Amino acid sequence: MEQKAIIVENLVKEYPRVKAVNGVSFDVLQGEIFGLLGPNGAGKTTTIRTLLTLIKPTSGKVTMYGVDVARNSETVRGMCGYVPQDVSADGDLTAYENVLIYAKLYNMPRQERKKRIMDVLSYLEIKERANDMVNTYSGGMMRRLEIAQALVNRPKVLFLDEPSIGLDPNARRIIWDLINRLRTEFGTTIFLTTHDMNEADILCDRIGIMNKGSLATLDTPERLKASVGGDVISISSNSPTCPVKLTNMGYKVISDAKNGQCDLVVDNGETLIPQLLSSLNTVGVTVNAVSLKKPTLDDAFLKYTGSRIEEGPGETFQAAKRARTAFRRFTQ
Amino acid sequence: MSIFSRLGKYIKSAFVIAELELRKIRHDQTQIWIRTVQPALWLVIYGYTMSNISALNQYLPHNVTYLQFMTPGILAQSVLFVAIFFGITVVWERDLGLINKLLSTPAPRSSIVIGKALSAGVRGIFQTVAIIILALIMRIHLILNPLSIFGLLIVITLLGMCFSALSMALAPVFKTRERMMGIGQAITMPLFFASSAIYPIEIMPSWIKPVAVVNPLTYVVSALRGLLATGDLHQLPLDIAVILGSTIVLLVLASVGFKRLAT
Repeated sequence: MEQKAIIVENLVKEYPRVKAVNGVSFDVLQGEIFGLLGPNGAGKTTTIRTLLTLIKPTSGKVTMYGVDVARNSETVRGMCGYVPQDVSADGDLTAYENVLIYAKLYNMPRQERKKRIMDVLSYLEIKERANDMVNTYSGGMMRRLEIAQALVNRPKVLFLDEPSIGLDPNARRIIWDLINRLRTEFGTTIFLTTHDMNEADILCDRIGIMNKGSLATLDTPERLKASVGGDVISISSNSPTCPVKLTNMGYKVISDAKNGQCDLVVDNGETLIPQLLSSLNTVGVTVNAVSLKKPTLDDAFLKYTGSRIEEGPGETFQAAKRARTAFRRFTQ
Repeated sequence: MSIFSRLGKYIKSAFVIAELELRKIRHDQTQIWIRTVQPALWLVIYGYTMSNISALNQYLPHNVTYLQFMTPGILAQSVLFVAIFFGITVVWERDLGLINKLLSTPAPRSSIVIGKALSAGVRGIFQTVAIIILALIMRIHLILNPLSIFGLLIVITLLGMCFSALSMALAPVFKTRERMMGIGQAITMPLFFASSAIYPIEIMPSWIKPVAVVNPLTYVVSALRGLLATGDLHQLPLDIAVILGSTIVLLVLASVGFKRLAT
């Protein structure tokens, strides 16, 4: 049986005017990449900060590797690494110094310090620029440095709040690879929040969909998508008999005669297409084009919360990017 | 964990936070020199002008010129000005995410506050070195021996800690940089003028004297003046006790409020 890294029981956080987290319960398994997905203001960051003992919950219990978070907050903080959503590397220091301060704050023995810092910097591929001031770094490098700060202590659980927000697609890809490698190479349990469907889908083993302070559902990305319904194959063809022939083959067809398009709802669309095409060929139907639409997490999100993620990732992305640029300008 | 190893870790993390500040100063030393412009103007323009008012001399301690009298006051003022705006940095760091990340380490919260205050003290010491050099260039005679320099370092560190703690205690209440800027300006001038920094308390209007008596800056100036100008140290223990006491109270207040910065 898989071991549990984090157990969250009925977590509530109330502020004077809002209930930010409203009775959330879930488990995170050791060595998994666990994601909380939801729009801004869903309570993801509040949940992460509560797990990290930065915020005291109104009620509820959190256990991390068997340790009660409320009772032994220092022990818990000692086994976690945290990369906040906002800029958290200090622009007025070099990358080495940024990591050094954290190595010291995590009480790392002096003899090991230098080697471990250089190791983590080379792991994140910023070793060559270790002695450059951080305010000359690009957004992606800064994010990697922030992750280096959190990793230097070799945490059991790494918390990432919106890990790729404000990064360009290339830098984003590098961060995703890194997160995957951390899990496979070191077995680090990774807890992340995101409002980006794509990120959640690519990275996470399991996803909790959060909305308005509550956990709407929790499952693997595949199962979440499957729960929405099957894949849709669209076939466009000039032969008028196409819909009939397909129905005869036993498919559920939604046909649109006007532009000669037939939509089929199926399971495992990609494996079915070749088979489908050859059987259509044998019955004398010429196919002009085929397309496959897989259900997305967005569809799943819609199903479980009744709304799409309101703010497009683009907007938040731009806002975060602006913040990073402004930060560099201020500190230079 | 034994109480000693806890205490050791506590002190260590406070020093690590102060080290962070020291490293920043090392990367950017120009800020220290830029900040000596204002005290230089006070000493050169205000100081020389006031020296010409001979009536003032009768209120000064025996054998002390006005410039000697004023230098410790200006020293205290310049460190105060830097420390009182320390809360702005803290709010700025909170807005960025640096504070949350610091709070996620095992370092106890109050040790982070003490470390931050200590780093304001460290900045104060650099400031002091610059102003002492300036005073020496202006040929203002100051008492500089190992004992007075040691005392100077202690008082300046406490001064930086005291008022940066005040500023940090206000930060969680006001929460924005703009408000912190306003608050800083609103309290520095009363603190400065209701102290003996640039004139003796004896010539103040009687209604402001009680304010000067409860103003920690008065005791800072008195300690610095005893150490650097008059050599009269009989009030020094009281001065240091008052400064230390206010620093501790303000540090406790700042630590209590600091958690609210995270939420």
